[in-house]
Amino acid sequence: MSATSDQDLIESWRDEPAPLLPVLHAFHDRDGYLSEESMRSISQGLRTPIAELFTTVSFYHHLATEEGGKEKPRVCNGPVCCLRDAGKLLEELGEGATAMPCPGRCDEPVAVLRGDEVLLGLSATELSPIPSPLPAPNPGGLDECVFGSIREPGRSTLEGYRKTGGYEALEKAVNKMTPAELVEEISDSGLAGRGGAGFPTGRKWKAVAEAPGNPKTIVCNADEGEPGCFKDRAIMDHDPHAVIEGMALAARATGATRGFIYLRYEYPGTCAILERALNEAKAAGLLGENILGADGFDFRIHLRRGAGAYICGEEGSLLNSLEGKHPFPRNRPPYPVTHGFEDLPTVVNNVETLVSAPPIVLRGAAWYQALGEGELAGTKVISLSGDIARAGNNEVPMGLPLGTLLHDWAGGPAREHELQAVTMAGLSGGFLAGDDLDVTLDEPSIRSRGSFLGAGGIIVFDQGRDMVAAARNAMEFFADESCGKCFPCRIGTKRLTERLAGSSGPGEMAGWEAEVRDIGKVMKATSACGLGMAAPLITESLLKYFPEEIARRLK
Amino acid sequence: MIEKDDSRTMILDGVEVSFTPGETIYEVASRSPGEIPTLCYDKRLDPFGGCRLCVVEVEGVRNPVASCTTPASEGMEVRTSTEAIDEHRRILLELVASENRQIDVDPLRGYASQELTELVDRYEARTGRFEGARSGSSRTDDDNPFILRDYDLCISCYRCVRVCAEEEGDHAINVLNRGFETRISTEFDGSLKDSDCTFCGQCVQTCPTGALGDRKAMRYEGEPGNIEKTRPICPYCGVGCSIDVMTRDDRIIGVQPAMDGPANLGALCIKGQFAYDFVQHPDRLSTPLIRGEDGELHEATWDEALDRAAAGFKEALEKHGAESVYGVASGRAPNEAAYTMQKFIRAGFGTNQIDNCSRA
Repeated sequence: MSATSDQDLIESWRDEPAPLLPVLHAFHDRDGYLSEESMRSISQGLRTPIAELFTTVSFYHHLATEEGGKEKPRVCNGPVCCLRDAGKLLEELGEGATAMPCPGRCDEPVAVLRGDEVLLGLSATELSPIPSPLPAPNPGGLDECVFGSIREPGRSTLEGYRKTGGYEALEKAVNKMTPAELVEEISDSGLAGRGGAGFPTGRKWKAVAEAPGNPKTIVCNADEGEPGCFKDRAIMDHDPHAVIEGMALAARATGATRGFIYLRYEYPGTCAILERALNEAKAAGLLGENILGADGFDFRIHLRRGAGAYICGEEGSLLNSLEGKHPFPRNRPPYPVTHGFEDLPTVVNNVETLVSAPPIVLRGAAWYQALGEGELAGTKVISLSGDIARAGNNEVPMGLPLGTLLHDWAGGPAREHELQAVTMAGLSGGFLAGDDLDVTLDEPSIRSRGSFLGAGGIIVFDQGRDMVAAARNAMEFFADESCGKCFPCRIGTKRLTERLAGSSGPGEMAGWEAEVRDIGKVMKATSACGLGMAAPLITESLLKYFPEEIARRLK
Repeated sequence: MIEKDDSRTMILDGVEVSFTPGETIYEVASRSPGEIPTLCYDKRLDPFGGCRLCVVEVEGVRNPVASCTTPASEGMEVRTSTEAIDEHRRILLELVASENRQIDVDPLRGYASQELTELVDRYEARTGRFEGARSGSSRTDDDNPFILRDYDLCISCYRCVRVCAEEEGDHAINVLNRGFETRISTEFDGSLKDSDCTFCGQCVQTCPTGALGDRKAMRYEGEPGNIEKTRPICPYCGVGCSIDVMTRDDRIIGVQPAMDGPANLGALCIKGQFAYDFVQHPDRLSTPLIRGEDGELHEATWDEALDRAAAGFKEALEKHGAESVYGVASGRAPNEAAYTMQKFIRAGFGTNQIDNCSRA
């Protein structure tokens, strides 16, 4: 069998929406890398200037441009895998192996990506592919929204999903509710963006429903790139139809006719699972035209794989990436609700947000609202990893004390050491330590300590860990992932990394602190997107909790 | 006819000013005294929001906003220069200064080449703080005669990339890699002459640091004497681009586009930008020459030369008829001259054999 020709590959995608990423992957998969010749063919076929195409390819971590590159092993150098000596594994794997940013397997380190496979293990000889573990049931038997049915056997198939209440919310929305009532239900529930930004979901849907311009688009942001976050992977692997149903509800509410799932490259197994689920839903008439017999309810979902860039989780970058442009964040305003995909009204929602919608529609806004502690609405999935006895995903009531999660739910420290610090929002929230570990898991509480809950990744560091090293690892990540668009982030993340590594900058504490604080201040105030605004929380919190460790390092 | 009044008002540094919907804060502020600093801004290009120097405070908004990308809105209260804003600007400029080999460059490098130097001095940011790795990597191997690619001085504002795409439509360069590792690159990181570059030089003239330099003008770097600028129309074609011819001691040392030239707004092509050596070339004809009986060329007056040409045409007409004449108008001439030329050939000689070199 001969390989598919350049022209056939391009023609199979050229008239599809958002064709660049799938075309790049088609060539990358066929040849195991992107050759100069391939890039020239794609440039001509899609009428993209060759310099733009060449440099856009360079933006993505995982598009290999040297022969055999795709199959070369990439070893996670993220914060959790580094606690498990990922550097040693990288050395063991020898020539050709390179480091990569966190691929979201912090619950079972160390992760290695090789071709289309993610392998886990602590040494080269014991690497094996392991499916995502199911989230453990919570100890209190608390009602759940996101994980409410995820442990039902067969849930990932259409048949299993329907047996356990799947697509009943969509039926209810189509048969018993107007789109406006659907939006109202979501608004009343208090559901807010679970990717970290916390924007009220109902308000977003309403804005898109009312915005002029067609076709409208629903984008599921499944580019879970934050180190220490792996909740969306668990959701998609075990409950893919919930993602589809959530998107269909958003489409019904807003009048959108096209949908995209933007899935990070590092989740190849999830890609296959979603593809199968999409085909099942299409075959059952749950996607396509006149869905569930509703006249004019048309909605299609296109699965698009990213190619390795943390910034593509930022919605402006994500939309540029989908459109085949250089994935810099967009200037705001205008916002995606009016000027999103192809400058048309677009909902961009995180996976967790979307899968929360079906239970809310079925069980009502009041039910969801009441899941949180006190006045707080709903739940949040927390990815817990690092030096903790039971790493994994937990759906917690908003407002659960952090201590309860760490000790009662997750079994406390993994090793003989006491807990020293945790990160918040993966790495983006910086560290919490000391008395601040008494926070409850909700934005008001965590923000009052200078951090934020964000996407809900929490990495635990015990007393045996070097916090300056942890901070340097985190800042290196932000520097590597800074897109290069805005000055404060591009230069600031680099300078902070150098100062944490001690490779340049003042050698005494007062001067060191003055520079680091000035850089942090300007990054927080003037960066163009959340990456640059959040990165200095690492140094800020290090200075707050561990000044003596820094001083010791500087001597 | 009644014109719809579209104007709105906002408060800029305590003063009520009017604006048209769609204008950015920066555009509104640029009509008032007090200059908001920028490095990634070029008014011909889509606002980019990269350098963040133009941040301003907006009442009721927590973080400063980039004035170049934020639309003005009714009743908005904006402060363009406060202690906090000016400190952000100074720190940003200190950071930018820390990534470059040098801040000061010769103005002959390009039209905008002094922008970084001027801002660093205005905000007293020549402090040497934030030292560390330098960004960019000069392409000393790109030996084209026109454009110096001294990327050690690049600050990643991407004005070159954007002017190449938005103004010239060449898309010859773009941003390679990301973060601190970003570099300006052609396709497959090659030289400009192996790319889609047409050497129009617009990237050179918009570069705010001299990272891109006008190699021809730079031949005269460091020579004594003042540079004088004269504003003629480019002689090459009928578009009528305004240029600023730079001379020192009556010698042309370079050309810069006129940013306010009505026909070009700062745009030029390779010829207008770089092809001026003919003016002072020793081989250039500065007086008519007539070939004498001896077979040699002899200097003549214009009257003598025109008489000789007219006689030649007349002789050809008499001996061989109108079909022996063929007119080719110069592509450097404007429409009016081309019209006169065809009239001259058709009415004067009685033939339709008239053409233009641009068609060839």
